[in-house]
Amino acid sequence: MSSRTAGGLPPPLPSPVRRGRAGWGRAALPALPALVLLFAFFLFPVVRMLGFSIEDGSLDWYAKALGEELYLRVFWNTFEIALLVTVICLLVGYPLGFLIATTTPGWATLGFIFVLLPLWTSVLVRTYAWMVLLGRNGVFNRWLIEAGVIADPIPMLNNFTGVLIGMVHVLLPYMVLPVYGAVRRLDPALVAAAEGLGASSWSIFWRIYLPLTLPGIFAGATIVFVLSLGFFITPALLGGGKVMMLAVLIEQQIHQTLNWPFAAALSAVLLALTLGVYSLAQAFTRQEARP
Amino acid sequence: MIGSAAALASRGALAQEPPKPASIVVNHSGGAMGSAMRKAFFNGFEKKYGIRVVETSPADFGKLRAMVESGNVEWDVTEIGGQDAIRATEMKLVEKIDDKIVDRSKYPEKARSPYVFASSVYTTIIGYRTDVFKGGTHPKSWADWWDVKKFPGARSMRDHPTDNLEFALLADGVTPDKIYPIDFDRAFKKLDQIKPHVNVWWATGQQPAQLLLDKEVVLATGWNGRFYDLIKKGGPVEIEWNQGALKQGSFVIPRGAKNAYWGQKMLAEMSVPQQQAIYATELGYPGLNLEALNYVDAKVKPYLPTQYIDKQFWIDDSWYAANGTKALELWNAWKLKKA
Repeated sequence: MSSRTAGGLPPPLPSPVRRGRAGWGRAALPALPALVLLFAFFLFPVVRMLGFSIEDGSLDWYAKALGEELYLRVFWNTFEIALLVTVICLLVGYPLGFLIATTTPGWATLGFIFVLLPLWTSVLVRTYAWMVLLGRNGVFNRWLIEAGVIADPIPMLNNFTGVLIGMVHVLLPYMVLPVYGAVRRLDPALVAAAEGLGASSWSIFWRIYLPLTLPGIFAGATIVFVLSLGFFITPALLGGGKVMMLAVLIEQQIHQTLNWPFAAALSAVLLALTLGVYSLAQAFTRQEARP
Repeated sequence: MIGSAAALASRGALAQEPPKPASIVVNHSGGAMGSAMRKAFFNGFEKKYGIRVVETSPADFGKLRAMVESGNVEWDVTEIGGQDAIRATEMKLVEKIDDKIVDRSKYPEKARSPYVFASSVYTTIIGYRTDVFKGGTHPKSWADWWDVKKFPGARSMRDHPTDNLEFALLADGVTPDKIYPIDFDRAFKKLDQIKPHVNVWWATGQQPAQLLLDKEVVLATGWNGRFYDLIKKGGPVEIEWNQGALKQGSFVIPRGAKNAYWGQKMLAEMSVPQQQAIYATELGYPGLNLEALNYVDAKVKPYLPTQYIDKQFWIDDSWYAANGTKALELWNAWKLKKA
C-alpha cells in the first residue's frame, strides 16, 4: 500500500488508507485538532480565495485563463518542466534510492546524509549556491576551462538548463525516499530464492525489484510532479527571467496588477490540474500494487 | 477619511497631540534601504518622541489593499510604488498628508501630491563593466544600447514593461516629450531586436549589480543606488546617466492606520533636509527637499540623479496607473513569444 512507501518520511500528501467505517472514526478522533487547524488555516482560506474567481457571477476569468494563448502557453510550459523534472528525478533517484537500500549500513547512513542534508537547507540558499556554481564565470565553467575541456563557458545558468538543475536538486529527496522505502520492504527471501534458482541479476531486477517497487516509483513521481507544478523561487532565480511558470504569473496578478479574481481562477486551474494528476497516479498505484 | 484628516488637522491646530503609542510600524522595501532609513530618520524619530519604530518589509500593494479593506491596518506608514500610489489614492486606500505637520514648502511643485509623500528620486540607467568598456567607450544612449555590433556583450534588463518600453522608443528615435502615450507596437518591435542579446531579465533590484560583478553580463540597466553601492565598494562598474528613467519613491499613510498622527510626524521627519542628506549619502537616492543638496558631500554629488535631471526623463506614473495592466499582459505575451 502506498501509505508506507514513503519510508521514514511522513507522506506530504494524504494517502488512501483503506479501513472499515469504525476504524475511520477511531482514527479521526486523535486527528481532530489537526483537522480543525487544517480547516481554519488551509481549507477555509483556499475556498475563500477560489471564491474570488466567481465573485462577479460569471466564469469570464476562467475563459480568459483557458482561452488565451498566452496563458495556455504558460500552463504548457509549467507542465513540460514538471514532467522533465520528474523524469530526471526518476532516472537519478531510483538508482540512488536502490543503492542506499541495499548497501552496508555505513554507506547507507552516508547516502542518507547526502540526500537529507539539502532537504534541511533553505531552498533560497541552495538556489544561490547554484548561481555561484553554474554561472558563466562560475565554479564549473572555470574548472572546465582550466582543464581544457571547453574554450568558451557553457551557458548553464539563466536558462532552461539552470531551472532544471535547480529543481531536480531540490526535489530529488522526494523521489529517493519512497524508492528506498519500497526496496527496503521487499522480502529478501524472494531475491535469495531467485538467485538460488539461477536467475541473472538483470532478470532479478526486471522481474522482482522493478514490479515490486513500482508503488514507490509512482509515489515519488507524483510528489515530484505535483511539487514542480507550483515551483516559484527556483525558476525565478535560475531561469534569468526566460522561464515563465504558472506560480510566477499568479504572483504577478496578486501583487502587481491586483487582479485577484484572475489570480484565483489561475490558482483554481492549477489546483484542479494537481488533483487530477494526483488521482491518476493513485489509480495507477492501486492497480500496480495488486498482486 | 476626510473626516479623520480634518480631525487630525484640528487637533494639530490646538497643539493637542494624541497619546503616544509605544511604537509605530513603518513598512518599506527592506535591505540597504531599511538600514539607511534607520540611520537617517528612525533613530532621530525615536529619540525625539520616545516612540519605537518597528520596521517591516517589503512594500506590497496587495497587502495594503487587504489591510485597509479588512480594517486590520498594521502599518502606520508604508512605502509604495509610484503607479501603485496613484491607484491607491483612487481606490481610497490612503490618508491625506497633513501639510500642517509635513512641511513640503521646499519641494518642487509636482512633488506635493495631497495623498502621497515623495520620499526620494531614483533612476534606471546603464551600468557597465569598466574593464570591458575602457576610457568612455561604453554605450551612452539607448540607441547605443541597441547597437550590439559596436557595443558587443551580454546585457541584462528588467523583467517588466516599465522602463523598457520607454528605452525602446528612445532607441527608435522618439524624443523624450513624445514617449507618452506609448506606442506598444513600435516599442515591442524595437524590443524584438534586443531580445536575443539579453542574457538575464532581472526581477529584483540587487540582481543587476551582482550580474555585473560576476561578469554574467557586461551591461545592465539598474537603479542608480544599487550601482552606487557597488562603486562605493570598489566594484569595476560605472554609470551612464544619459536618458535615464526617473521615478520618485513614495510613502503613504494607509487609511485607518492606528497611529496616523504619528505617521504624519514620521513623514515630517523624512522631509528634513539634513536627514535627507544622510539618506542620499548612504544610498544615492536624494530626497525632494531642494535644500538637502546643501548638506551633501561634494564627492557624493556626482552619484545623485538630481544632478542629471536635464539629461533624463520622468516615468509617467499616471499613464501606468491607467495602462499598467495592459502593458504587463503584452509584456508577458512578448516574453513568451518564440524569437
